[in-house]
Amino acid sequence: MTRLWWNQIRSVIRLEMKKTFFARRGLWIYLLALLPLLLFTGHSIQSSRQQARRQRLVSQGEKKLMYRDLLAVRSDMTSEEVIALLGRPPSRFHWNEQTPSGNDSFVVVPHESYHYSDGSGDLYVELANGKVTSVEVRDGYNRGEDSVIFAGVFQFFYLRLAVFFGCLGIFMNLFRGEILDKSLHFYFLAPIRREVLMVGKFLAGLLATCVIFVASELLQIILFISSFTPNAQDLYLFHYHGIGNSVAYLGITALACLGYGAFFLAAGMLFRNPILPAAGILIWEALNPFLPALLQKFSVIYYLKALCPVDIPVPPGTPPVFALLVSNSDPVSPPVAILGVVLMAGLVLYVSTLQVRRMEINYTTE
Amino acid sequence: MAVYRRTYTSYSGPLTPAWSRWLVLFRYSRSSLFRSKLQTGLFVLCFFYPLVCLLTIYLAHNLSFLAKLGAVGGQILTIDNKFFYYFVNVQGVLAFVLTAFMGPGLISPDIANGALPLYFCRPFSRAEYVLGKASVLAILLSQIMWIPGLILFAVQASLAGSAWTWDHLWIAWSLILACWIWIAILSLLAMALSAWVKWRIVAGALLLAVLFFGAGFGQAVNVVMRTQLGHFLDVVYLMSTVWNGLFRVGDKRALSSLEAYLALSAFCAICLALLIRKVRAYEVVR
Amino acid sequence: MNDRIVFQDVSKFYGEILGVNRVNLSIPHGVTSLVGPNGSGKTTLMNLMTGLVRPTRGHVQILEYAPDEPEKLFGILGYSTQFDSFPKGLSGFQFVSSYLRLAGQDAKTADDLAWRAIERVNLAEAAQRSVASYSKGMRQRIRLAQALCRNPRVLVMDEPLNGLDPLARAEMIALFREVAADGRYVIISSHILHEVDAISDQVILMSNGYVVAEGQIHSVRNEIQEHPAQILMRCNRPREVAAKLMMSEQTIEVRIHSDEGGLLLKTRDPDRFYLMLNQIALSGIDIESVAPADDDVNSVYEYLIGNDEVVR
Repeated sequence: MTRLWWNQIRSVIRLEMKKTFFARRGLWIYLLALLPLLLFTGHSIQSSRQQARRQRLVSQGEKKLMYRDLLAVRSDMTSEEVIALLGRPPSRFHWNEQTPSGNDSFVVVPHESYHYSDGSGDLYVELANGKVTSVEVRDGYNRGEDSVIFAGVFQFFYLRLAVFFGCLGIFMNLFRGEILDKSLHFYFLAPIRREVLMVGKFLAGLLATCVIFVASELLQIILFISSFTPNAQDLYLFHYHGIGNSVAYLGITALACLGYGAFFLAAGMLFRNPILPAAGILIWEALNPFLPALLQKFSVIYYLKALCPVDIPVPPGTPPVFALLVSNSDPVSPPVAILGVVLMAGLVLYVSTLQVRRMEINYTTE
Repeated sequence: MAVYRRTYTSYSGPLTPAWSRWLVLFRYSRSSLFRSKLQTGLFVLCFFYPLVCLLTIYLAHNLSFLAKLGAVGGQILTIDNKFFYYFVNVQGVLAFVLTAFMGPGLISPDIANGALPLYFCRPFSRAEYVLGKASVLAILLSQIMWIPGLILFAVQASLAGSAWTWDHLWIAWSLILACWIWIAILSLLAMALSAWVKWRIVAGALLLAVLFFGAGFGQAVNVVMRTQLGHFLDVVYLMSTVWNGLFRVGDKRALSSLEAYLALSAFCAICLALLIRKVRAYEVVR
Repeated sequence: MNDRIVFQDVSKFYGEILGVNRVNLSIPHGVTSLVGPNGSGKTTLMNLMTGLVRPTRGHVQILEYAPDEPEKLFGILGYSTQFDSFPKGLSGFQFVSSYLRLAGQDAKTADDLAWRAIERVNLAEAAQRSVASYSKGMRQRIRLAQALCRNPRVLVMDEPLNGLDPLARAEMIALFREVAADGRYVIISSHILHEVDAISDQVILMSNGYVVAEGQIHSVRNEIQEHPAQILMRCNRPREVAAKLMMSEQTIEVRIHSDEGGLLLKTRDPDRFYLMLNQIALSGIDIESVAPADDDVNSVYEYLIGNDEVVR
């Protein structure tokens, strides 16, 4: 019997793969997975261009500068003092501005902009009339900050939006899409247990979403790391848990597909318009930090947040309401989090099996 | 002689004017919208906040009177440009929710059931078809946005006096313009998505996705690329910038009003292009 | 009863709309036709039989299986539905073979069975083309192939002759007879009453969700008392025969044919007429033919359902 079921599940998966992976109507899901890749590709290109520009500035500079030299420039300095400290600027702009000086007359004020670099940071100095008017130091490469940004994009954009809507599109199609296409009877008229059919369809959807979104996440991680210098890559991967973090991100993506997939499969079966529960889940997930402790546990993002390897610090001055959204005040342990997602998905799938046995084919009411 | 020729005669009575034929679409599309109790309930709910605002205006004028008698200290409620700015924001959100429910059913069913050739074999142009469908949303959303907004303005004007009215007449124009821009964007977006996918449900999901995902992706772009250009992908932020400018709220914004207008125009142009591509009398099936 | 398809007091309501009401049937093997106007409940009955819908009340049994056990039921039952839609992207062959794979067959067996079924419906040449490119008749035949591919004991077909040209219809009718001859159960619904007449062993007439009559045509016709039997007779002296017949109190009407070569008799008791026939023949009248004029599905349909339709 088990062997029969496995054969049948494989047949269902084979049928679904054609519809999910190779159908034109599924292209938008690839787009959802592709957009973050484009983002990190842009970031990678931007980082390498910035780095190349800094190296050019270093090679063209009069003096070899250190980071503390960049910090030494103050607002009350003159241009001569700046040049004495840092050497002639490798990048310099000069322009004049007319400033009103009373009695309908104007004074021409010479302005200058100096750009220095120590190879990893940039110093921008604005001068007017030979005096420093503004000093800006920009850190170029900051692995810690970039890791936090990556974690933030992953948690708040990729999981909650890209994976969410991707799973909505794929899993909702499994049953509701068949009903709209008037082809569900093809499956119901086969000598296959409806529970086995449902499991087969779910696994097909899970396979498709995992392949698309885990692959996208892997490529994002590769692009993210490629923006580091080679030394920094070694440091990050082998000394700062880079590999562990990467595996965690991939695993969390797969768990998100499992959790959201189960919910949307059930929604597609239970509701004629699954958008209502989808919008409800979106709002529920967004409001999760504000819910009572017991209700918080009925949420995919509650467990996934606990598994994220990088904590996102709350920026100073953030209102308490938004701070609650960002922070993870009561995280569960990783094994409990994984078990939580799996159990919740299992519970929802069990409810789905009860529903699938009772499903009727009535296309005219759709 | 074939039988039909003996009794059939073509209609020879008066015809309705050609310019008004798009109203047929409006009448029939609108009648189907309120068959759902949920949609009807949602529509009614959209009038709740305007009623709250009406009460606020009334209290604002009576509270100040009471303050003069020494009963309540100070002027608590101020009816100014910010009051109408918040009104437009709240009603704008409700307008989006209403569009998400009612918009997808405008064109998707016609495409799914092969009705477009039937429409276009009449003396009915594509523009008239789109106009007829758009008018459903436009009139519906007007009923919850600028019409109650103008009523609130009129009530405030009548209570506050002519001096206030002349000083703040620009708010009325801003209100109308702000609402119509949002109505146009929502209508075009809903119709474009409705025309692009055959399934009403998927069109509704796409509508949610375009707004939420666009906002999220825009923020991600800003954070990762350390820029403000991501805001161009966030329709809600663009609209909020436009409203900010129209109501002279003065909040600091990453984009200027002109940039927001241009971005929204490009967005509308894309929606129109999608509509032109999909609303045709024929369909190629591969 | 494990050798019949049984409906026990089955009702199905779609909200407030009646599908079928209080249906009690016991369908034996052979070709059984479901006949009735649009909306009479034929498709609902078939969907109840196959588990696509669940009865609001009552119990359905298909031989030894219940419809809510599809994994067992569809091992012995094949259903060709009226739904003219298919999973996207499949060719005709893939449509049938993937159905067999869903049933748990291995690839080789599924392919063999699929080809056999496709050849049986004469669609081998177009089997590799996409179903979306098929004509209506071809789509009908591929659905039949899917229903037949596992050699089911029970074959249920909803308007199987729809969209087929006359030659294809004749082929399908021969196929149904062949299947039924093996002791199997073939249930079809159709509007083509003369073909139903030709192939059916028994009929089930439905109207407004109710079963109006069931059984062999002849038995059903005999039970319709309010419509006298009509018998056509061709002979050389119809007026003499008419005079003799009018003497019987069971005779309601006799009409002479316009060519004076025969007559149409309406009688309450056809058996008595057949007894009189010997005497008529012995009296020297040449009788060319005697045949019932309304002992067919068409007439039974008219009597039992046709008037209701007119009134409605």
